[in-house]
Amino acid sequence: MGDVILRIEKLSKHFKDLLVINEWNLEVERGESIAILGPSGCGKTTFLRILSELEKPSSGRIVSNYQKLGFVFQESRLIPWKSVEGNLRFVSESVKKISEVIKKMKLDGFEDYFPINLSGGMKQRVNLARALVVKPDLLILDEPFFSLDLATKVDIMKDIFFLHQNEKFTMITVTHDVKEALYLADRVLILSNRPSHILKELKLDLNEKERCLSDHAFTALEGEVIKEVLLAE
Amino acid sequence: MKTLIGIASFIVIWEVASVIIGFNLILPSPMTTFHSLMNVLSESSTYYAIFATIWKTTLVLIFVIVIGIPIGFVMGINDKIYETLRPTVMVIQAVPVISWLALVIFLWGLGWRGPVLISFLSLLPTTIFTTASGVNSLDKTLIEMAKVYDVAKGKKIKDIYLGALAPFVFATIEVSIGNVWKVMIMAEYLCGTNGIGVLISWARQYVDVPKIYALTSIAVILGVLSERAVKKIIERTKKKWAMSY
Repeated sequence: MGDVILRIEKLSKHFKDLLVINEWNLEVERGESIAILGPSGCGKTTFLRILSELEKPSSGRIVSNYQKLGFVFQESRLIPWKSVEGNLRFVSESVKKISEVIKKMKLDGFEDYFPINLSGGMKQRVNLARALVVKPDLLILDEPFFSLDLATKVDIMKDIFFLHQNEKFTMITVTHDVKEALYLADRVLILSNRPSHILKELKLDLNEKERCLSDHAFTALEGEVIKEVLLAE
Repeated sequence: MKTLIGIASFIVIWEVASVIIGFNLILPSPMTTFHSLMNVLSESSTYYAIFATIWKTTLVLIFVIVIGIPIGFVMGINDKIYETLRPTVMVIQAVPVISWLALVIFLWGLGWRGPVLISFLSLLPTTIFTTASGVNSLDKTLIEMAKVYDVAKGKKIKDIYLGALAPFVFATIEVSIGNVWKVMIMAEYLCGTNGIGVLISWARQYVDVPKIYALTSIAVILGVLSERAVKKIIERTKKKWAMSY
């Protein structure tokens, strides 16, 4: 398969009579960061659930070439009766890796905290740390900044961007927010309404400086993409 | 301090009620009961009876936990097993104690086994249903998370299912300890050969009402003390596990 980590061929999914995903074709290269934008109910999360084998496709196939999958859930899905460290230990036995990730995700000092004592932002950091501790070569993020305040969101987004740059894992992010998509992705897929198909692909060639959220060129690009998304809806 | 005020108020109300009723065979005064309690406590047979009731009660609790919780657990994780076993458990719950009594007397006559079985059957359905609803109410997204990360089944059961179940197990134990004394003493009264219930039965035959009240106070004290002790143990266990409920 060469550098291709995921090949999706004519993937469809319906729930009873409701067709949600309609013959998607997609190739994802190793190390690439893809963002999927689309209206509510168009099957973005369903697609991620199929990728992570929580759902079966109705037709079509996925050829995958990854070893380990990390999943950052929309709601953190932390085990309430386990500490931050306990939640990481649930998916990884490696004490060294756990302590590395705790530092990387700025969770030092919070190892013994329980989810109930963490803010929304910290919970998402643990959610991300849990995904990273398994050393994923494919990282899936399902609206990871949902319900976070702007400052926390930007802070975590920056961390994810740099982690992707440094660790070279493949990343697929589902989001409603054009800014998030443009900031994190090398390629943005715009989906149509249900039954959804991939309406448009935008290749982005932005360097680190150009991914400045308040930069004029960035906001102009954001405006263009918003138009495309609105057209899709 | 509040507890002492509560106890003092109870004694005052009791005293007033006994003065109003003015008939020792219905409600002896607290002082008469206290004298009777002192007499009861000076007899070695009382301690033997208390010990007999305690060991049978402990046995029932062990059976309820060892048998009821695993059955409830399996019923909670598997809907088919739940639907298959639910009618049986409901029948056990609905059968009147008097019917069990007839059965155990036919089976074993009077003795320790009858009270143990009757108490066990009285507490078992609640334990099973509480455990099953605990497992059933488990956040299914955690199971999905474990599936995504390919976590081993044993670890999933230990870290997710048992973790989710712990508050229900603790609640079951707290409820059971509160009820087991009452059920056990009644069962001893009906088909036992030793224990506090049997002593109450003998006191009834001699129309020794103050003794019935004295023995009842021993049962109440045992119930309250054991409930408090269990609550403390549970609190400590929760702290030890640092559970964030």
